This record gives sequence, C-alpha cells and structure tokens, in this order.
Amino acid sequence: MADKRKKKSAGKDAVTVVVMRLYVAGRAPNSIKAIANLEAICRQHLKDGYKLEIVDVCEHPRRALDDGVLVTPSLAKLSPTPGANIIGNLGDTSSVLAALGLPTTGP
Amino acid sequence: MNDARTTTDRRLTPDRSEAAFKHWLRRLVTGAAELKAFDAGEIDAVMDRDSGSAVLLPEAQSALNGTNRIVLSALDALPGEVCVIDSNGVVVMANKAWRVSGTAHARAGLDVRAGENIYAACRDVPESEREYAADMTEGLRQVLTRMRQSLTCRYVCHAPRPRRTCTFTIAAIAGDGPANAVITREWSDKPAIEPGGLPPKRSRNVEVERAGASNKLLSALPPREYSRFAGGLEQVTLTYGQVLYEPGEPMHEVYFPNDCLVSLLTLVEGHRALEVGLVGREGMIGARLALGAATSSVRALVQGTGTAMRMTSDRFLKEFRRSPALQRALFQFTDTLMIQISQTAACNRFHMVEARLARWLLMTAERMASPEFHLTHEFLADMLGVRREGVTVAASALQHRKLIHYRRGDITILDTPGLEAASCSCYRYVQAQAQAATS
Repeated sequence: MADKRKKKSAGKDAVTVVVMRLYVAGRAPNSIKAIANLEAICRQHLKDGYKLEIVDVCEHPRRALDDGVLVTPSLAKLSPTPGANIIGNLGDTSSVLAALGLPTTGP
Repeated sequence: MNDARTTTDRRLTPDRSEAAFKHWLRRLVTGAAELKAFDAGEIDAVMDRDSGSAVLLPEAQSALNGTNRIVLSALDALPGEVCVIDSNGVVVMANKAWRVSGTAHARAGLDVRAGENIYAACRDVPESEREYAADMTEGLRQVLTRMRQSLTCRYVCHAPRPRRTCTFTIAAIAGDGPANAVITREWSDKPAIEPGGLPPKRSRNVEVERAGASNKLLSALPPREYSRFAGGLEQVTLTYGQVLYEPGEPMHEVYFPNDCLVSLLTLVEGHRALEVGLVGREGMIGARLALGAATSSVRALVQGTGTAMRMTSDRFLKEFRRSPALQRALFQFTDTLMIQISQTAACNRFHMVEARLARWLLMTAERMASPEFHLTHEFLADMLGVRREGVTVAASALQHRKLIHYRRGDITILDTPGLEAASCSCYRYVQAQAQAATS
C-alpha cells in the first residue's frame, strides 16, 4: 500500500501464524534497527508463519495513543495468546523469542 | 504557535540542552520496561497524550533532519513551486522553484520562506489583497484541521504591477495526527487585468475538492449539499484486517473510502469466507441502510489500508432523506454494486483462476487509484475462493507474460491493457455497465 505499513503472508496453517504490530518513529535509528532485527528473527524462526504490521507514529500518532503505546520502537504480539509487548530496538534476540513464545535454540 | 504545550516548542532548541530535554522527556515515560529501554538509549520517540503526538528524542530528531535534507533535495529537483507547512502554518521547507519564483515576483503572492508562518503572511498582505488572503486563511484552516483533504485558492497579487494571478493548491499529508500540508503555487502568464479593462468578475475562490475528490459519491454532490453533508464527516484511517461490519450486526456508521479498499465477504458455515464484492473510492460501505435495512448482510473487511470519510448512520439517513443528489448517486452505486456481485458469483463458478486473478487485480488497481499494492497469496486465495497453490500458478503465469511484477506480496501492474486482455469478460462487462450507468 502507499503508506509505510506492510504485511507478511501467513502460512497455510493459520494456527501457527504470529500476528505482530511494530510501532516505529519514521526512519529514526532505533526504529530502523527494530525493523531489521525483527525481520531477521521472523525470517529465521517464523518463515512465512507471521503477519507484521508496521505503524509509523509520526504519521499515525492517534493510532499509537489509542493502542496504549508509550514509547517507540515497541512491538506488540497480538496473537496467538498470550499477548506480549517488547520495548526497544529488539537487539536482544533471545528476549524477543521468549516474549513471542518461540524456542530460543533456532527454528 | 504560541501555545507552550505544542510539540514544536518541545523540540530541542539551542537554549535548551540535550540532557535537560531528555530529562524532561523521561518524565513522560512510565513502566519499567519503557524506562529501561529509554535509559539504554533504545527509544526514538515518546508519545505525549497532551499534544496527541510523538515527541522525538534528540538523536532521532537529528536522524530525521538528515532525511529532511534528502526530501528537500528531491523537492528542489521539481520544476513546480512547492512548499510544506506544519499544522501551525509554519513553512517547514520550500523548494528551489518556490524560492526563485518568490524573488522574481518581488515576494508577491504570499511568498513565505522556511520558518515563516503562512497565517501571519496572510494577515500582513496589502489592503487590496485582504479578501484573497482571508479565503486562503480559511482554506488552510480547513485542510490543517482535516475538514478538507485538499482545495485550490485563486489569489490576485496587486503589487507589484501588473497584477498577476496565482493559484494555490493545498493538500493535507496523510496521517491521523495534526495535519501537515503541501502547497503548490502556479502563476498565470497573463496579468489579471488587461490595461484599461475591467477587473475580472470574482467568484468565491475556494473550490473545495471534497476529501481530495477521492470518493466519487461525495464528488457527485452539488457544493451546497456537500457543505451540509461535510459537517457530519470525519476522516479516519482504515487499516488492513479491520472488520467494519459483521453479518447480522447493526451498522452504526457508514464509510466513504478515499484510498482504501474494502471487501464484502459472504460467510457459509463450514467454508472459508468468499469475497462477493469490492468497494473503493467509487462507493460507500453501508449503502444497505438507504434501502431500509439496519444490519449488514456481509462482513466488510478492510483489504487495503487508507483513509475514508466516516459518518454516523443516523446523520447519514437524515442527509439521505433530504438530498436528491445523494439519493441518485447512491442508487446508481447500489445498482453497479449489484451488477458486480452477481457477475462475481457467475465468475467464481465458470472462469479460470488466471483470468479471475487478472480481473481482481484490475479492480483493485482501479479502486486504489494505483498500479502498485500489497496482497499476499493467502489473501488472494481467500478472495478468489481457491487454494493458495492455484494463486501461485496464476500469478506466476501473469508475471511470466510480463503483465505484473509480484514479489513477496508487493504487486505492480506493468501492462494494464495486457492484463485486461488476460482477464475474463466479467471485468469488461461490469466496467461497461458502470460507465453506462454514469453516462
């Protein structure tokens, strides 16, 4: 689409699809790192089994406020339950995997 | 601008040290994880409820300023005169053509430069230009408060002589926070008044383009009816995956898409949802209300993120009853939608996946007003009611014929006539019926 959001396709097995939303501030340094780190984690650990929406809070502040976001970058895991929020540039892969409920020893 | 609570004033300024600013910003942060990330330097922005905006940390601000330099270079390369203003009317950047032209016209025609406030410039115009400046001020206010997506203003410069006319186009930049806007300025070659002639008869020079003229139903309303109607409209951003209606549930609000795309899905027990209709800027979501129904018969699912104008159902019905123009436009749209739905049902039954995919891509591009969009195989499989593998084969075939480019869900239509030839007859039939209805 024309805006900065993007979606990754989910796999065939809908049960294993992890749905996430990443709030970033434009092309600011930590936001760029968070996107790169998350995409690497998804590539390695989730293959096609995820959906990711990226929300730029500079363009859509109201949306971030309505969703209860306090700082960016901020990743929200929406499904499967339990949900989780991860703050920062997502550089600590093991913490991100743990929060997403994924095994930390590779795919 | 004078409000000390605005985001602009909270940015780092030379008399405010970086450390003091960050200390002040940290006070807005609550939550242990948030504070830990803040102290580790992993945060770019803090959300501020008071101003309803994101406040950038100095490092992030500095990085984005670098981006702004790139944007300004790109604007400088454009031949047209362009400037960008923030929600307070302050000029954030003005391109080279704007600056050069301003100098050439001795700074006539509301010539503002980076850092200057266009509202202030409107106040400071000569007496003879007051009327035009007042219209410009009102137009700016409407766009920056998102009452209008865009509009054009005619402005006659009385000094220096000879008088010249310029046309400003003001367009809001997408987003749901305080609006920023892009202004373009075009000069007419001829003086506004020929020597010895009469001044041109002046009409109200604010020509509303109705929400970017994006929604065709709204565009069809006469100015007076639109003005009344616009009072109940609110611009919203609809995001991919958002469900507007569920079957059997009441429709509390109606939506007029500007640049988003909404699928109408029918649900059959034990099967996946199947798309039966697609609505974009040519129509509205919730037209069934006008036929007397209070609940939706389908699931309305946002398939393409974008903006729409929203109105409460009560207000919509009230306006519908008193506006013959709206009734005509809506009946026409409903007729076209019914043709689309019935043709889609037949298409799903009889036509090959490749031809149906081509039809669907053309319909999407038409409604999104863009040859580029994002759709995954899984989503397309849902929309066409086929297996994902079937979509992969069909998309590969269209790509092999160089009609589309498809990579990781990002689709670009490369050859529209070729894709039309590859589509089934349903696309041309529905398009012809729609054109016949509007002619």
